[in-house]
Amino acid sequence: MTQPNRLAQGGRVNRDRPLSFVFNGETYQGYEGDTLASALLANAVSVVNRSFKYARPRGIVAAGAEEPNAVVQLGASEAAQTPNVRATQQALYDGLVASSTNGWPNVQRDVMGLFGKVAGKMMPPGFYNKTFMAPASMWMTYEKLIRKAAGLGRSPREQDPDRYEHFHRHCDVLVIGAGPAGLVAASVAANSGARVILCDEQEQMGGCLLSTTETLNGKPANQWLSETLDHLAANPDVLLLPRTTANGYHDHNFVTLHERVAEHLGDTAPEGMARSRMHQVRAKRVVLSTGSHERPLVYANNDVPGNFVSGAISSYIHRYGVVPGNQLVVMTANDQGYRCAIDWYDAGRNVVAIVDARPDADGHWVKQAEERGLRILKGQVVFDTKGTKAVQGAWVSAWNAERFALTGEAQLLECDAIASSGGFSPVVHLAAHTGARPVWRDDIQGFVPAAVKGQLPTGGCNGVYPLHQVLADALDTGITAALDCGYEASRFILPEVDDLVESAPLALFEIPHTKATMRAPYQFVDLQNDVTAAAIELATREGFESIEHVKRYTAMGFGTDQGKLGNINGMAITARRLGQTIPETGTTVFRPNYTPVPFGAIAGPHRRELFDPKRYTALHSWHEQRGATFEDVGLWKRPWYYPIGNESMHDAVSRECLAVRNKVGILDASTLGKIDIQGKDAREFLGRVYTNKWEKLGIGKARYGLMCKDDGMVTDDGVTTCLGDQHFLMTTTTGGAAAILEWLELWHQTEWPELEVYFNSVTDHWATITITGPNSRALLREITDIDLDRDKFKFMEWRQGTVAGVPARVYRISFTGELSYEINVQADFAMHVWQTLFEYENKYGLTPYGTETMHVLRAEKGFIIVGQDTDGSVTPEDLGMQWCIGYDKPFSWIGKRALSRPDTSRRDRKQLVGLKPLKDDVVLEEGAQIVLDPNQPIPMRMVGHVTSSYFSPTLNHGFALALLMDGHNRMGEIVFMPMPDGQVHEAEVVGTVFYDSKGDRQNV
Amino acid sequence: MSDAAIFDQQAVADKVTGQSPLHHLSSSHKTEGVVLEEVPSLGYLTLRGDANDEAFRAGVHKALGLELPVQPMTLLQSDTVSIQWLSPDEWMIVCPGARCFEFESALHEQLSGHYAVVNVSGGYTMLTLSGDRALDVLYQSTAYDVHPRHFGTGKAVATTLAKATVFLRRPDDGKWELIVRRSFADYCWRWLVGVC
Repeated sequence: MTQPNRLAQGGRVNRDRPLSFVFNGETYQGYEGDTLASALLANAVSVVNRSFKYARPRGIVAAGAEEPNAVVQLGASEAAQTPNVRATQQALYDGLVASSTNGWPNVQRDVMGLFGKVAGKMMPPGFYNKTFMAPASMWMTYEKLIRKAAGLGRSPREQDPDRYEHFHRHCDVLVIGAGPAGLVAASVAANSGARVILCDEQEQMGGCLLSTTETLNGKPANQWLSETLDHLAANPDVLLLPRTTANGYHDHNFVTLHERVAEHLGDTAPEGMARSRMHQVRAKRVVLSTGSHERPLVYANNDVPGNFVSGAISSYIHRYGVVPGNQLVVMTANDQGYRCAIDWYDAGRNVVAIVDARPDADGHWVKQAEERGLRILKGQVVFDTKGTKAVQGAWVSAWNAERFALTGEAQLLECDAIASSGGFSPVVHLAAHTGARPVWRDDIQGFVPAAVKGQLPTGGCNGVYPLHQVLADALDTGITAALDCGYEASRFILPEVDDLVESAPLALFEIPHTKATMRAPYQFVDLQNDVTAAAIELATREGFESIEHVKRYTAMGFGTDQGKLGNINGMAITARRLGQTIPETGTTVFRPNYTPVPFGAIAGPHRRELFDPKRYTALHSWHEQRGATFEDVGLWKRPWYYPIGNESMHDAVSRECLAVRNKVGILDASTLGKIDIQGKDAREFLGRVYTNKWEKLGIGKARYGLMCKDDGMVTDDGVTTCLGDQHFLMTTTTGGAAAILEWLELWHQTEWPELEVYFNSVTDHWATITITGPNSRALLREITDIDLDRDKFKFMEWRQGTVAGVPARVYRISFTGELSYEINVQADFAMHVWQTLFEYENKYGLTPYGTETMHVLRAEKGFIIVGQDTDGSVTPEDLGMQWCIGYDKPFSWIGKRALSRPDTSRRDRKQLVGLKPLKDDVVLEEGAQIVLDPNQPIPMRMVGHVTSSYFSPTLNHGFALALLMDGHNRMGEIVFMPMPDGQVHEAEVVGTVFYDSKGDRQNV
Repeated sequence: MSDAAIFDQQAVADKVTGQSPLHHLSSSHKTEGVVLEEVPSLGYLTLRGDANDEAFRAGVHKALGLELPVQPMTLLQSDTVSIQWLSPDEWMIVCPGARCFEFESALHEQLSGHYAVVNVSGGYTMLTLSGDRALDVLYQSTAYDVHPRHFGTGKAVATTLAKATVFLRRPDDGKWELIVRRSFADYCWRWLVGVC
């Protein structure tokens, strides 16, 4: 296989390691060290994509992250599919398979191209919002069609086989970009003793040193480069991260780096290796040595494959030994274009002409070109390209910069490649991520990062371009960084480089055409989003004056491109149309990520079983063995019910309910929040945070408590017991445990710091085993030394003793309405107690039950669940719990004042009631809306909703709790629940206690 | 002595077998450069009090035979007990499980005024991490800076372990201690094994 554009020698590729790859179904060959882009160019593959909107053929333009066209879909297998890969950033590996993301059926013969040709004329900017917005209901349909036609790559449909890692990193100095500036700054900081991280997005560190012909210390740049890298690598406090892109620069010098660990090795990572790694770096100082992007010039048909930015050509020649063509025309407004022409000529290919927009130039590189006898056309511009799928020629004319017009006769120069250079734009993207707007500098005709504390732009990113100045600037930056981090700056000897004279550049962005902009052929500004100079002109004509509006009207700088090549040109064009300067026009905001990051790298190890913590009680393995189904309660896994054989949920729950009501059930209640409260003011504190009274609760007693937020709305409830006169144990809801502890600390620390009280979480320490039902006393008596006599150990009391030989606190409290004991033991011993109880399983009919049965049983008794029967807008009085409010307490407890507002006492508040469906077999839907008249027209007036609803196997009918407007005054009324299927359920409003309303059973 | 209700919560060892939070998993995981192990059944006491109160500090010293660390993020240890600074008024005491009640009682005997001692032994377990690559495991697990320059021997912090919390301690050069909550222990173990 021949590679027509590969030079016989030169470049950093390994010609002894040929690699085979497939692009759009064709097999090609490249070398180790190639990028996909360099390998495609070596094989003279000119069309790599179709454009987003007009479906025009597109080729490779650049050599790095700024590439707008060569965005490909990667992956040989379905599972390895990766969209949005820039061919210029993808290292070649053997067996690589890539395809264009746009173009159907293929990029050479694109059906959409016809549509683009015809409809493109009908799709001016603003087309989307003008055409597709009406009718608004059709937008979803339009959007799908547009997406399908545009094709921005796709995600894999199979499980990603790769592993991704997250690393947290800290350093004194993070240096982003390992070109000459970054290398010097990193070396100075590291030699001074600082902890340094140096990252670079390319396959090899060195930046422009990899493709320069300049010498350092009189030797090829490569020598100084490898010496410097070796020195850094030998320092244990330096972390070198090649193939690592800084994608997001967040507040406080927190930077996310994406390291492509194995993406250069194959479709999937080798065994034991992560595919990529996200480094979350917190740095004291961030050195931005991100360099600059060369700006292309805007001229007609500048998107035809074969148009390049000039520096890219030098990169392809020096780094990969690839010359992408035979006949080159260069257009430039500075001396950079000459370097490209010289490199092309020295590679043995023909330079047709250097077209210099400036009337005269005599810098070092100009003289070098003249010495080689290259044809130079001064005061002229390339204004149009001949060709459609490949460059066939460049239309050249003299021009008048002041009048912005072509002058004289146009001539056609036949060629197969055009390089343009409009100057350099510092890569300010990262600096702008935190919201700091870049600042325009007239002297360099570019934006530089705004001054931000802790951020140190240097070199090209700081608008410094000549190599000797770059090195000096970076030395200063390295010293500043070291000093800022508290180190004594060390000496560093800069390499000697020639001070090459460059002629003054011309501020040039767009090239006039023989036709007016609106009538001229497309002059592309943003190649990825198909934004033209005419589109920007149209936007300004339609009154869009803010650059942010122009961006949104035209889509300039959108998406994965983030305006790397086009934004400055776009702003300059906008400024000219508005008669403004560029700084008056301003710049848009650049956003993370700098280049796309795979979702896998963002998720890292937080996936599958490690997606979120799962919290388990000490008894979890027993529940699993018993075949429990589990319910998520917060992060906890709680047994939901324990089906036997093929039992349905309904049957299992009925069986469990009846076991509790008739014999004895057992529940793992360990997830309840538990807070140990100690101190001489503990009792006073409880009185202030609970609505009810605590001053008289004696040692050995327990009491139900209700908590409000300061707005008077119920926020938590639970039983608190008095362990000692200054020692209490508070229980909270499972979900409220952490929040209530914080709530107590908040009030203690900010409002009542004078109270002597400490709060400590003991949720995980105590395992809680609830046995409940008429047989619970007899069961417990088998294995405890506590006197369970009904008069000696009464309801709402606790006792200390041993249970199954384990030291325990037993609380006689009930959430089922039955005789109940809650056994609390140190969690390590819970399993022993639980298993000992089950030795009496058959004797007493002991039945394990889960949260569903717990809910049915508590609802039968009208016990609320905060968060289910309340929603943050419910007062204790709305719940009918006036008995739990101590209005006459001496201290104004949290929520008291709010409960005296007229709003909390208005008659039509929603209040908690019971609902008994008129048909026994109806179980109302939780969330069903209640109306008073089922025959009223829609929209009906809704007066409440069902909060809890179950079938009661004990009562043998459905029942519900509901929040109903003025519900406490509606006892006995019939209300209606119209359902989506047309049925209307009827129910009688009743009290909230459905079973044992006198409460005899828990007191036996 | 406060009026706090305390009792020996430790079951008699030869009659009752306790279960650590990780009893259902292996208690040791070894891979290249990393050794991860559980140290089960330790005693844990949360101590609250005023670090500026000389009598309080002296009482703790007398009860535990160890100075109370008052420097933030430090760990002091003897053969049997360690005390980790957690906040200006909070410390974590770790001791052998069988001696927990002895130390708890001793603290109550020596201390007076406003303080609290809470037995939280059932709520935690300890993991240890050692080996050449232990740091790499920590870099992947916690946002805290564990670089040796920043996290020397004798340092101890409360921070995050993935999405859970951890008391991270460096008692000596070769070992890291991670104290995690019982209910999160399974998650923490699986996380650490996953990134080893």
